[in-house]
Amino acid sequence: MKGTSMDGLVVGIDLCDAYTQVNCSDDEKTWTIPTVICRNKNADEWYVGREAYAHTLQGDGIIVDKLVKLALKDGTATLCDIRYTARQLLKLFLEHVLKLPAKEYGDRPILRLVIAVPKLEAGLIRLLKECGRQLGFQDHQVHLISHPESFTYYMLSQKKDLWNGVVGMFDLSAERLRYYEMKVQRGMKKTLVLTEYEELEEGFNLDILSTPSGCRLADMILSSCAERMMQKKSYSSVFLTGKGFERQEWAEEFMKKISGSRRIYFEEALFSKGAAYKAMDFLEEKTRYPYTCICEGRLKSTISMNVLHKGQETSVVLAAAGDQWYEREAVLDVIPDRQKTVDFVVTPLDTRQKKLVSIPLEGFPERPDRTTRVHIQVRFLDERTMDVHVKDQGFGDLFPSSGVQLRQEVML
Amino acid sequence: MSLLLCSQEYARRPLYVELLGIHLFTPQELSYVIYHYPLLVLDGFINDSLLEFLREELNMGLLAVKLERWLKRQEKLDEALLLILQESGYYSGAEIGRFKHRLAELRRKPPAEFSKLKADELFAMRQYARAAQLYQELLDRPADSHVDDGFLCRVLNNLGACHAQTFRFDKAYEAYEKAYLKNGQEEMLERMYQLTLMDSRVKLGEHIQAEVSEEQKMAWARRFAEAQLHGAQSDGVMQLEMLFKKDSIRRQTGQTELVHRWKQEFRRQFA
Repeated sequence: MKGTSMDGLVVGIDLCDAYTQVNCSDDEKTWTIPTVICRNKNADEWYVGREAYAHTLQGDGIIVDKLVKLALKDGTATLCDIRYTARQLLKLFLEHVLKLPAKEYGDRPILRLVIAVPKLEAGLIRLLKECGRQLGFQDHQVHLISHPESFTYYMLSQKKDLWNGVVGMFDLSAERLRYYEMKVQRGMKKTLVLTEYEELEEGFNLDILSTPSGCRLADMILSSCAERMMQKKSYSSVFLTGKGFERQEWAEEFMKKISGSRRIYFEEALFSKGAAYKAMDFLEEKTRYPYTCICEGRLKSTISMNVLHKGQETSVVLAAAGDQWYEREAVLDVIPDRQKTVDFVVTPLDTRQKKLVSIPLEGFPERPDRTTRVHIQVRFLDERTMDVHVKDQGFGDLFPSSGVQLRQEVML
Repeated sequence: MSLLLCSQEYARRPLYVELLGIHLFTPQELSYVIYHYPLLVLDGFINDSLLEFLREELNMGLLAVKLERWLKRQEKLDEALLLILQESGYYSGAEIGRFKHRLAELRRKPPAEFSKLKADELFAMRQYARAAQLYQELLDRPADSHVDDGFLCRVLNNLGACHAQTFRFDKAYEAYEKAYLKNGQEEMLERMYQLTLMDSRVKLGEHIQAEVSEEQKMAWARRFAEAQLHGAQSDGVMQLEMLFKKDSIRRQTGQTELVHRWKQEFRRQFA
């Protein structure tokens, strides 16, 4: 059955403040729901999306919109004299949204859920992971990715000739206008896939598309953006996504600018499909995407430590470029030999900019050489900030731990 | 300068090293003990408990199998120590080479000298009861070319120190007196006299009294007072004073920890 794996569903969601889209892996069916929730005034009943609007219009419901933004601000909403936290509302919304594919495929359990968001922030990750837990998922079943990563997975799941060079994409929605670009660089060891985006300041309210003059203005704006962003570059393909491109007849000039010899595609639910492809990949024994992907949400540098192991100098990689920063955590124990620092090597993609970061073991007790075991824990607060915890473990009963701990944030 | 990578093995059931009164949790700690206390590990350290520790706790099964074979045949036991050092990767090849040289030197020592070094090591580690036992065994040995009066005087002096450290002042006096009767050194007289200052029940014997002048007594008493003053300013006493200046909750916690440590040390000294 399409959209399912052997034992259950794999689901990709694109969660935005205006619309939420849901896809199951390998299935073309997309559910598009406005990100709103409504509570019935007379009963403890909840509605989402268009049903929520309908009840509000009927007068028997109270609606709340911009759920993600509200939840990120730790906001609340009072519905029928009951104060709900935005987190509770977002959880209720997701619960209803996830029932849609479950209903379609006969209430099969969801094995993996990947949520794509326009901007991956630590607060949002914590929030959605918590929602996932409350919905009965285990942490390893729920993953968050950025729109650029979702775009990358979507593209890499298409025929190779569509992405073997540069891929451009415009995303026009009520909330934003963005230009994405994905490049593939074939290396000796691994293929590197680089995805970047630019938030275009020229974004406009989609309501202007309801008048001929507004359409002309929008076409002009987009044409100038296309000229600036794409210039005369050669593309394997160009994609359009977002509610603004549901109809394209208003964008005659823009379409002329981006076409030429380029192949143009419109994909309505690109981010939720990308998320679903990624969700499916989690269940594969061997990844379908053996590439190093660099984009928002992924580390752009490799973090390693030069250590001595059984007399041999070796490098231990704590996190590699392309790892998802929020899922990456590394721990290791070292014993400093004639040195009072722990050193990290930060190697960006441009290896000429490699740098050494030393953290002095301040406050650690003076002991004979090689009698301090140092426990190092590395996490990431975002793709550019490494959070290092260092703890004095002592040296057994010979030199008991002082309990000294250090924490340092390192800009990568 | 470097960072040694440690394996994540951390024993849930550590190895207790009785002679040191400590537990070992990692291959690095095991290596440290072997390297720094060769006298204490040369005989009897490679045993079933160690093999079980290597096998079950440190995930060093292959090493344990090899050592087990040597242990059964009672051969290559020094090599076994070297092998542990090599496998743990805590010491460099050069350091292991130096350790090998040291082992060979120790093995060449006459048995009496070897036992004294071992007892001295125990004394340095405040294992006074064990050290005293070894010194006593040395005194009971028949005299040979290595066990002469000079050697016995050094042993008696150290035995006296062991007894003094464990508050057995009468026994300490006996040891110093025997040493004095053999070598006639003034140092021994001073120690005997200072024991009388520490414990009023200890008295100088008549024949010793006759050999000590009033000037000597005054000089020794002065030195004793200076040592007491120095002791009162030691780190340990300072820390104790600091502890009593803390608020009641912290003081109580500190006291509990301190008494626990003292008890442990006391047990080790008398074990």
